[in-house]
Amino acid sequence: MLKIIIPTIMLIPLTWLSKSNMMWINSTIYSLMISMVCLPLMNQPCDNSLNLSMLFFSDSLSTPLLMLTTWLLPLMIIASQYHMTKEPLARKKLYITMMILLQIFLIMTFSATELIMFYILFEATLVPTLIIITRWGGQTERLNAGIYFLFYTLAGSLPLLVALTYTQTTLGSLNMLLTQYLTERLTHVWGDSLLWLAFMLAFMVKMPLYGLHLWLPKAHVEAPIAGSMVLAAILLKLGGYGMLRITMMLNPTVNFMAYPFMMLSMWGMVMTSSICLRQTDLKSLIAYSSVSHMALVIMAILIQSPWSFMGATALMIAHGLTSSLLFCLANSNYERTHSRTMILVRGLQMILPLMAAWWLLASLTNLALPPSINLIGELFVTVSMFSWSNFSIILLGINITITALYTLYMLIMTQRGKYTYHIHNIKPSYTRENTLMLLHLTPLLLLMINPKIILGTMY
Amino acid sequence: MAPGLLGLYARRLLAAATTRGRVAAPVRWESSSARAVIAPSAAVGKRAPEPTVHWQEDPEPEDENLYEKNPDSHGYDKDPVVDVWNMRAVFFFGFSIVLVFGTTFVAYLPDYRMHEWARREAEKLVKYREAHGLPIMESNRFDPSKIQLPDED
Repeated sequence: MLKIIIPTIMLIPLTWLSKSNMMWINSTIYSLMISMVCLPLMNQPCDNSLNLSMLFFSDSLSTPLLMLTTWLLPLMIIASQYHMTKEPLARKKLYITMMILLQIFLIMTFSATELIMFYILFEATLVPTLIIITRWGGQTERLNAGIYFLFYTLAGSLPLLVALTYTQTTLGSLNMLLTQYLTERLTHVWGDSLLWLAFMLAFMVKMPLYGLHLWLPKAHVEAPIAGSMVLAAILLKLGGYGMLRITMMLNPTVNFMAYPFMMLSMWGMVMTSSICLRQTDLKSLIAYSSVSHMALVIMAILIQSPWSFMGATALMIAHGLTSSLLFCLANSNYERTHSRTMILVRGLQMILPLMAAWWLLASLTNLALPPSINLIGELFVTVSMFSWSNFSIILLGINITITALYTLYMLIMTQRGKYTYHIHNIKPSYTRENTLMLLHLTPLLLLMINPKIILGTMY
Repeated sequence: MAPGLLGLYARRLLAAATTRGRVAAPVRWESSSARAVIAPSAAVGKRAPEPTVHWQEDPEPEDENLYEKNPDSHGYDKDPVVDVWNMRAVFFFGFSIVLVFGTTFVAYLPDYRMHEWARREAEKLVKYREAHGLPIMESNRFDPSKIQLPDED
């Protein structure tokens, strides 16, 4: 693990000590190499985990998320190169440093063995993200967005700290590898229900669950492109990952405590998908679509069946890549027109046809077209939800339909139709932007061929 | 009526014949009362004057169009040399190294999570059990005699 963490830490001196014209090149190259170094973790020899040290381990659940994290840093750097051109050099370096710091915390979070270390790093990821949103966001609403983001997550995770310290004192160890073998689980006592709630609430806020999701549209919309990418692709998955790890300690209380959250998730996914149909702001649409997809993941984790865990993991990876891609596409629009309103920039297929191809592919994966991995995730979740309760298929079917509807709405609104009369300053697509989209799409499409690596621990 | 019409058409024909032969006037209109002349507008065929009010849809004045100075810009940097090297670096390290080698690595992963081993082992056990007349699988996953239950509380 150190072979990943130490190079990532050393990216910071690399950024600060590079010559000004080599700064972006250096950081991009070395972050790509770090994602290469992360790849050997994929070699999971058995259905247990790779125990790398006392502090770090990697198993089939954390490895795809780690790969996603390390893949995303170079993409964030490439995406930020345009809107940072006017900033002074020190501030550019600070921006890259924030991204690298976030990367370090995320790598350590996904590979932590001890739950308290996981918690500390989980909270630590908030700080660079907050700095990126509030310092480099575009509009004045970014301050409010930062406050919502910070305090929702903090308020949710303080009970988690209490619960973790309590469990540490009673159990003696919070090593994730050991707690799998816990024999005395939680009981049906009132206090244990509150303990369950304390454990889960932090991750529910992070996912986000429908009732606690207000921070997400604000934070995603006001963040600069790198902030949006990392928020949508990775930080939401921290919640899913945490839930997947903690649920193995929490049986059988989860059987009845899960019901309110199941209801909120099922209703929430339909509601947020419907809200997407009425959005005028492009980034807000993508943000609400993230809530909808993550609601599926929450449901899958709460029903705790092997298929649903496979679906949850696949959906997390697939959504990470797709959502980040959609935000990059929305940003390529924003850089040209400085507006996120969808109706202001229409008919782009005529003007930027190659970008329209990427928009099409992104929309197709977002609406879970077979055989993409988004479909694999959604299908596994749908099937396992059906076996849990036959009636859930109604809401799930409605959600899948509405997902297709709003995705096509977004595609048709931005790409098809007659272009608006005032578009005379749309610059042709840069190689940088096409490269960025392809770097998102290629893993997404390649994983179609070999999805077993993203299906997680239950495969 | 006919003579009247004839007169009208005749006058029109006469007027057309007299003006047809005239050279295309450099002026548009000549006043018959004063010596005022309206010359053809110098702006005929040219664009409307630039709007003075700044609209939201107009290009931002501080937006830099990288294509102006460098028509071959790849979008990374103003300096063409740095731009080209950045493009090359991203393509080489991003696609040629990470994506290609990464895909190859994942494609040739040895027996991911021991699935192939599990299949071979299962076939071997089934063959053994069928040969010896044993049931293919017992309904008890663990040996019941080894489970120690706590006392009834």
